[in-house]
Amino acid sequence: MQKVLVVEDEEVLRMLIEDTLEELEGVEIHTAENGVEALAKLSTESYSLVLLDYMMPVLTGIEVLGQLDEATKSATPILMLTAKAQEMDRNRAILAGARYFMPKPFSPMELLQIVEGILSDERQD
Amino acid sequence: MKDKTKRMNTSIKTRYLRIIISLFSIIILLGSSSFIYLNKEQTRLQEAREVLQNKTNTIDVLAETLKEVIFRARSYAAFKSDNELELLNAELQKLNGLMNTYSMLDLSTEEAQFRDDIEAFYIQYKTDILPEVIRLVDADDYTGLRAFSQDGSSQVVNNFILYTKEFKQKSDHTLDAMAMDSMKKANNFTWIGYLFSTFVLLFFTWITWRIIKDLINPILLLEGATHSLAAGEEILLSQLHSQDEIGRLYNAFLDMARSIQDKEEELMMQNEELHAQQDELQAQQSKLQNSLSEINSMMKALDQSSAVGILTHKGVFTHANDNLSEYTQYKKSEIIGYTYRLFEVNNISSVQLQRIFRKLRNGGVWSDEVQILTKDESFLWLHLTAVPYLDENGNVYQYILIANDITSMKSAQQELANTLKNTQRTQKMLELNNQLNHEITYTLDKHEFVDKFIQFMNRLYSFDSSFFLLVRDKIAAVRGIPQESVERYIENENNEMLFRLQSEKSYIIKRLTTPSEQGISPDEMYSYDYYTTVVNAKDEILAVFCGSRVGHSFTKEEINEVQGMMNRVALAIERLFMYEEIEHGRKLNQDIVNNVNEGIQFVDSEGSILHINKTLRQIFDFRLSSEGTQIPKEQWMEHFTSKSTESKDIQLFYLTAISEYSVESSSMKYSIGSKPVKHIDVYAIPVFRRATRIGTLFVHRDITREYELDLMKSELVSTVSHELRTPLSSVLGFTELLLSKTMKPEKQLKYLETIHKEAKRLTDLINDFLDLQRMESGKQQYLTEHANLSEIVLGVIDQYKLSDTHQVLLVDEAQNAEVDVDKDKIVQVLTNLLSNAIKFSPNSSEVKVLLHNEPGHIVVQVQDTGMGIAQDQISQLFQKFRRIDNSASKRIGGTGLGLAICKEIIDKQQGTIGIDSVEGEGTTVWFRIPILHAEANGQEEDSNKWGGDKETKPNVMIVEDDYSLSLLLSEELKAKGFRVTHHYHPQKAYDQALKTSFVAIVVDLMLGEELDGWDLIRMLKTDPRTENIPIVISSALDKSDKDLMNNVVQKYLTKPYPPGELSNTLEEIVKIKQGMGEVLFPG
Repeated sequence: MQKVLVVEDEEVLRMLIEDTLEELEGVEIHTAENGVEALAKLSTESYSLVLLDYMMPVLTGIEVLGQLDEATKSATPILMLTAKAQEMDRNRAILAGARYFMPKPFSPMELLQIVEGILSDERQD
Repeated sequence: MKDKTKRMNTSIKTRYLRIIISLFSIIILLGSSSFIYLNKEQTRLQEAREVLQNKTNTIDVLAETLKEVIFRARSYAAFKSDNELELLNAELQKLNGLMNTYSMLDLSTEEAQFRDDIEAFYIQYKTDILPEVIRLVDADDYTGLRAFSQDGSSQVVNNFILYTKEFKQKSDHTLDAMAMDSMKKANNFTWIGYLFSTFVLLFFTWITWRIIKDLINPILLLEGATHSLAAGEEILLSQLHSQDEIGRLYNAFLDMARSIQDKEEELMMQNEELHAQQDELQAQQSKLQNSLSEINSMMKALDQSSAVGILTHKGVFTHANDNLSEYTQYKKSEIIGYTYRLFEVNNISSVQLQRIFRKLRNGGVWSDEVQILTKDESFLWLHLTAVPYLDENGNVYQYILIANDITSMKSAQQELANTLKNTQRTQKMLELNNQLNHEITYTLDKHEFVDKFIQFMNRLYSFDSSFFLLVRDKIAAVRGIPQESVERYIENENNEMLFRLQSEKSYIIKRLTTPSEQGISPDEMYSYDYYTTVVNAKDEILAVFCGSRVGHSFTKEEINEVQGMMNRVALAIERLFMYEEIEHGRKLNQDIVNNVNEGIQFVDSEGSILHINKTLRQIFDFRLSSEGTQIPKEQWMEHFTSKSTESKDIQLFYLTAISEYSVESSSMKYSIGSKPVKHIDVYAIPVFRRATRIGTLFVHRDITREYELDLMKSELVSTVSHELRTPLSSVLGFTELLLSKTMKPEKQLKYLETIHKEAKRLTDLINDFLDLQRMESGKQQYLTEHANLSEIVLGVIDQYKLSDTHQVLLVDEAQNAEVDVDKDKIVQVLTNLLSNAIKFSPNSSEVKVLLHNEPGHIVVQVQDTGMGIAQDQISQLFQKFRRIDNSASKRIGGTGLGLAICKEIIDKQQGTIGIDSVEGEGTTVWFRIPILHAEANGQEEDSNKWGGDKETKPNVMIVEDDYSLSLLLSEELKAKGFRVTHHYHPQKAYDQALKTSFVAIVVDLMLGEELDGWDLIRMLKTDPRTENIPIVISSALDKSDKDLMNNVVQKYLTKPYPPGELSNTLEEIVKIKQGMGEVLFPG
């Protein structure tokens, strides 16, 4: 059973992502409302993928990555979701340790494909 | 004493005594020690000999005894006699004793071996051999005995006997060697003794030689010196350094010889001196003779050049030469025989004359210049010398007078003195002029200038009063007259003086003195006022000078001088004006430069700052050096560059711009300081004067505002795009899910609802944003109209009547709610604030709106008891997209623009808006806007018959769900001085009644679905806490007798009724209450 953590402050979007990823088989979806919650979950469980929102109150996605320990960061693929679609934001996310990047608004089907791809890669490893 | 000790030490006697004593000690010491050594050696040898002898003897006896033993044994064997056996035993006994003695001796290893062998033999012999022999003898077994004796038992004895022989030889040998050794030693001693005596002999020889050297040589030298002294030759002796007896004798002799020689020399010198004196005497004699002849010739010369007269001691002329008669015009015969009184002396008084004679009588010479009257009555100046001639007793017997005519010289002298006096005066004038020039040249202040000038003029001409006036500036300096009179003069525009001066330039007025000028003088006096002007090249009057003198007028020279002075001053005044103009221009430029918003810095080609304006000093916080001084490059650049965050870049920029090769303007941006950071745009312009580079101008412009605006704009774009993308994500995402997946209808509905909600949010957001944009850009049109704010508030609250979560309560205390506002916009603000309050207090059920007046304003407060806001975040709330960043507020949602819009609207109504909040307790958002007829407000306050204090106002609650009626009633009651609380929900009204004390509650019967007015009345009347509150029913229903509660109701008003009726009723109630002694409202 692979686990995916969805960190998104907007309830509606959280629901959208959850519903989108619902049809993946053998995947358990966990959610976190903010960075603090996300860090707490990441410290107790290991995830095959983390979908992380860029703009969040309390801690931004970048700040979450900054506070995440190196071991977890290198072991966990991170997909950054952001409404900030500028080149600079993208670079900032990559520099902070996000392996994937997806601008908002995104297509749920595309997201599904990407997540599927990442998860199957993870499975082979 | 010390000297004596020293002498003792250096004395020959002592020295030799010391040497001899130490030598004797050495000899005795050496002799006795060698004797002791010799004696000891002898004794040792003797002892060794005795030991050896003793040993030899013992061995000899031992050998003898051994032989005896053998011999006795043989005899016994041969004779078999018991006597022999006894002897044998005795010998054995003796052998044993000897052996013990031998053992006691000092034995070598070999000898010890022998001793042991003999002992063994002795034992063997005594225990084995002898009894065997005895047995054999007793048995007469001689064959056995022979065999026994041959088996070598006596070998040891033989060996020992051999050893004794050897030892004897050896000991003899040793004794010989000892004797030889002692002989050799004795020989050595003889040699040492010989050497020792030789040494002693040599030493004595040396001592003798030294004595001869120390004593005889100096004595010989002394002898020679004595001969030299006797012969009178120079004693060629150097000081002898030794301090012994001879040395001292020698020195004593030397001193004596020297003193003899010195005395001799002195005698010789005295002799020579006598000779010299004699020579001198002779020379003087001849000189005297020469002088005598010289005096004669001198007398002749004197006769030729001067007048000579000889007088007796009584002053009678006995001789007069030609010159004397020539000078005085008297003939010789007219002089001789007369006293000196013949010549009248002008310049010498009789007292002086007496003094002169006294001096002459004492032998003194007198000489002076005298003026006498000649025979033809003309004055004659003579240089007269009188010499007295004294006899042996010192009495004067005649005088000689020598006189020279100095009349011409005297007049020349007089002339010279006059010239000198003139020159001094001129010089003084020049000096004064110089001083004036100096003072007025270095004075750039006009007041100082006029003051100095008048001071100068007064010193020069001693005016009684004077003034100096700069016409254009009306600056005057005054001496001797009151300042006011001149000021009065100046004020008078068309005064006579200036008018006259315009044409005449200068004039003198002669007038009678004023009483004050006249002072104590009894006569009538005149005053002279001299007016003159300073004119420039264009013939304009620059200044007026007036000097006044009492009693005497002005000479032509004085007038000329003053006029000259005025011309000189004209230049100075023009210069002064010019300086002032330049200074004014400079100041103006400086003011302009200092007051521009840009920092300006002018740097010469060397890099030194020639000018820096105030703005730039402020930008760089540069306090170094005062204005107008040059600031070297190193000094300012270090300061400027260190302030900037881009020190390297700005330094490079500066250096490039200053260098003479840069001929074009350049610019750069840099930032400076921290918190707040200033952003500066600097451009450098090379400055040329007639193609010569004279420096560089740097202009620093503070672009912080532009910079920040830029930053804000890009931030806003970024935020807006984020805010828009989030709902867009939902819309697009769910749409896609709906399109691509099959799902249950419920889910489809849910998705569609979400899409709808998010799309609406997007629309709201865009609307809000556009609203705000429009407002901020000033394009928003406001329709201002007259309105009642209480009415507006009630209207908005009315919309929340149906809210199932929150009750909105209005506490209206505003006496004056008349405002000029855009009604719709205020409604927008109130709606926004109320929905915020409801949204952010999810756990509470009440939101309170309060209205009250403040001087000139009405304040609306929207109070919730929600989560509150942290203090530091309050100020951010009115900025765009600034929601409080926490998940709770995120969940609640909103565009984040609401408060920014509210602020924009309230600002446009000349109002202010603010937030007070305590985190966790609740938030109050308030705004205040100006009221109309503010001035009437005070009077309305006075009409409050319950007293002005807010706390003492009677509280009335109106429970009414028709807001227009509610408003009508509340207006009436507020006007009567009641404090009105509105409610439309019976339960809430009841809760409120528990919290606040009301004088009365006005209840509408038809209220809601669940509870009506009667329910409320019942609740109030059954609760002991509220049962005493009077109830007034305000209902559209007619009073019905059926109602059981009628008796508990104070008053029943049936709608419609005039509002005055309600207020009257309530006033009555209040009065009744007071009448009942319940003092609720004092006064």
